[in-house]
Amino acid sequence: MKKAFALAVGMALAVPAFSQSFTPSRPVEVVVHTGPGGGSDVLARAMVLIMEKEKLLPVRMQVANKPGGGGAAAAAYLAEKKGEAHTIGIFTGVWLTNPLTSAEAKVSLKDLTPIVRLLLEPAVIAVKADAPYKTLGEFVNAAKQKPGELKQSGGSITSRDNVVRQQLQKVSGARWQFISFPGGGERIAALLGGHVQMMVIEPNEAGEHIRAGNMRLLAQVSDARLPAFPNVPTLKEAGFNVTPVPQVRGVVAPPGIPRENVAYWEGVFKKLTQTESWKKYVADNQFEEAYQNAADLSRFYEEFSNQMRGVLQEAGIKLVR
Amino acid sequence: MQGFAVALQPMNLLWCFVGVVLGTVVGVMPGLGPPATIAMLLPLTFLMNPASAIIMLAGIYYGAKYGGSTTSILLNVPGESASVATCFDGYQMARNGRAGAALGIAAIASFIAGTVGVIGIMLVAPPLARMALAFSSPEYFALMALGLAMVVLLAGRSMVKALLATLVGLWLAGIGTDLFSQTSRFTFGRMELLSGIDFVVVAIGVFAIGEVLANMEGREAAKALPVPKGWRNLLPTLQDLKDSRFAFLNGSVVGFLIGVLPGAGSTIASFISYGLEKAVSRRPEQFGKGVVEGVAAPEGANNAETGGALIPMLTLGIPGSSTTAVLLAALVLWGFKPGPLFIPENPALFWGLVASMYIGNLMLLVLNMPLVPLFAQVLRTPAYILYPVILGIAMVGVYSTSGSLFDVWLLAGFGLLGYLMRKLDYPSAPLILGLVLGGAMERALRQSLMMSDGHVSILVSRPVSAVMLSLALLILLMPVFGKINRWRLQALEK
Amino acid sequence: MRAAKADFWSGLALGGLGGFIIVQASRWEYLGADGPGPGFFPLWYGIAMAALSLALVFFSVTKPGSERINWDGAGRAFTTWLALAVSVALLKVLGFLVCFAALTFFIVAVMYRRPLWVAAAVAIGATAAFYLVFPFALGVKLP
Repeated sequence: MKKAFALAVGMALAVPAFSQSFTPSRPVEVVVHTGPGGGSDVLARAMVLIMEKEKLLPVRMQVANKPGGGGAAAAAYLAEKKGEAHTIGIFTGVWLTNPLTSAEAKVSLKDLTPIVRLLLEPAVIAVKADAPYKTLGEFVNAAKQKPGELKQSGGSITSRDNVVRQQLQKVSGARWQFISFPGGGERIAALLGGHVQMMVIEPNEAGEHIRAGNMRLLAQVSDARLPAFPNVPTLKEAGFNVTPVPQVRGVVAPPGIPRENVAYWEGVFKKLTQTESWKKYVADNQFEEAYQNAADLSRFYEEFSNQMRGVLQEAGIKLVR
Repeated sequence: MQGFAVALQPMNLLWCFVGVVLGTVVGVMPGLGPPATIAMLLPLTFLMNPASAIIMLAGIYYGAKYGGSTTSILLNVPGESASVATCFDGYQMARNGRAGAALGIAAIASFIAGTVGVIGIMLVAPPLARMALAFSSPEYFALMALGLAMVVLLAGRSMVKALLATLVGLWLAGIGTDLFSQTSRFTFGRMELLSGIDFVVVAIGVFAIGEVLANMEGREAAKALPVPKGWRNLLPTLQDLKDSRFAFLNGSVVGFLIGVLPGAGSTIASFISYGLEKAVSRRPEQFGKGVVEGVAAPEGANNAETGGALIPMLTLGIPGSSTTAVLLAALVLWGFKPGPLFIPENPALFWGLVASMYIGNLMLLVLNMPLVPLFAQVLRTPAYILYPVILGIAMVGVYSTSGSLFDVWLLAGFGLLGYLMRKLDYPSAPLILGLVLGGAMERALRQSLMMSDGHVSILVSRPVSAVMLSLALLILLMPVFGKINRWRLQALEK
Repeated sequence: MRAAKADFWSGLALGGLGGFIIVQASRWEYLGADGPGPGFFPLWYGIAMAALSLALVFFSVTKPGSERINWDGAGRAFTTWLALAVSVALLKVLGFLVCFAALTFFIVAVMYRRPLWVAAAVAIGATAAFYLVFPFALGVKLP
């Protein structure tokens, strides 16, 4: 009798142990591809803070900076940690485009386990406040009349800034120059100093300058108007039929992670997106909430890669993959 | 004045103190820099009020500048990239037994420069920021060219070798992914080289490890360096202070102005200040052998740059260096929006910060001066303990910046290079100069040509860049003038 | 070895590097659609490097000075470097603490010919200090 009872209790205890999938038992490492202060780093740290505040994880999270190679170092690091359940990484679109153009970047997002997509970063097109262009159409027409004379400051030629330019140039037939600057600060300085005429910029970077009256917005690079800019037309509304290529941020894990771990992480991040702190963070920084679970994320990779391939090829950039 | 009220609150004084002490410690460790430290402390800062937090973080920033000079002078190991110029004369002073004086003058120069920086912020912040915006790629190129022309002043005996070293430095700077076209250059198929070679790896390798290897030659190396004896050598003398008069001014002004430019950093500031000091000095041939103003100028520039760099950060929201980028991120994380409206909307925070900078500088001076003789005692350590420890610190420092073993390999490689360069009489300063300036100079040149649609004239049609380029040309031609002069004199004698 | 001979060989080496740079640079775009391409700058400094190296070689042959380079201690320096290289190679396998202790031991015992027990003491002491200061107190990861 006692034996049966013990067995029953044992089984009752064992059942939850079997159905319980995965819980982290050590501090979790969050890999980012920028140094301290960079975009992904700031996002990761904010995320860690919210997770701790809302007690979404039983363990601590630690941000690990693995800068280098435009994301290649971080991706390679994750690829090495095959099967490691306590490491995740924050990826951005760069992780997908870098391997397309760079032979040394051997690890692409597709080699890693997708977890979730978290955010889309919209962008806006800005000019100096005293520029003669009041709409995007005016700028493009001016460029058409003086091909190659107007200038745009931005990041590298594979960055979203240039992608927008390529798309606009294609549909309008206008041509203007693109000058790369390594840091956001320098790009803004170039615009405000009058050395370039236009730039594509993230809304939270531009926010203060708009408030101070230094910059004016011509259009938004997104599908729908952002709540912060109700009066600025989107690209389509401004008369340019292009699909905005998004700047995306999400979470990946090393390859070879079992299904339950992925499900666990999906759950945690879903809960994260539902917290008030996260919603506030998203609103403050003017991101777009864009949660996608792992399966949708895989599909998104494909679409995004193909889109980028097309744009890069049209821009005349050599692809290696 | 309200700022002083904020800054003098006991809690804020405490945080300021914590910040500067931590900063000094961090600065002493090669490789561990203010950006990483500030990032690590960010979660902690959420528990404090923003004013205290930014006071502490700023304290770390310039405390690190102070600390960096200590290892440069004592061990020829640059604590951070901007301390490289301090190594030139500082370490030589230590070899001459005047380590204490060198440390002291560094502290004093930093204090004066820091104070000037603070005054600068108070008086001219917004207008200077606007002027900085007019500075664009052609001007940056000219500035870099001017910096590179300084190689002439650093040359030593063989100009050809100095130029060759500079060119190698330019080459090293170009390794990595080209910004404009995304092509990989000189990466030999290695992913680790995609973002180029970190300056810290080269500097520590060539300077520190090269030095250790060179010292290995002697069979008996009892003590590493002479320990300073007597007050004359433990602290700067009045004569030292007199000699450094111009250097104080030079460092402060040059450092501050260059700091204001977004993208130009303290390394460039310290080099240009050093070069300027040598150019106007009455005893230029002694530079590199241990002259006190050769330490005062770059150290001052280093520190003043901190103040200058805060200007674009706080008035325009544009970070001027990696440390200011982290500070900026911190402000954003706390919910502030640095930009043109930051100062008018947050006067208490801003002025509190400025006042605390002044106090922090004072604290550092008071803290460091008595410690100088103590630090100098480090030199007592027998060589056989000191050198392995230096090697160890170098390895840890390099690894901590990037977390990559490849960098440690590079460190070893550059150590060998540094040793060979010493033996073959190739000066190492130009190599570092080329490395630091090469990337920025190429970018600025290409940006300028893009802006002007290929017309090189853009570089001379703009007044500021024209002036700087002419200066650079003058400096480059100086040796030629010197030779022509000597020929003339020889001809006259015949 | 005479200084001039060393200059000769180093000049040749740098000339080789210059040549390599020129070859690589010519494979990239010199002048792109928008402005100078990735090959522009490297080509020029590659040419400068090659030219200056030739000058160096030339001078070393035509105007050899009488200075000698003292290579006496070089063997010790190279040995130390080899020890360093080996310890770096083993870092991944054995970790920093072990490798550093070994390196320190080697330097003290071999280079400075101190008694073995001193070498051991220094090695262990220094390693312990590193462990305490870096990972423990500062949270910095060791290789």
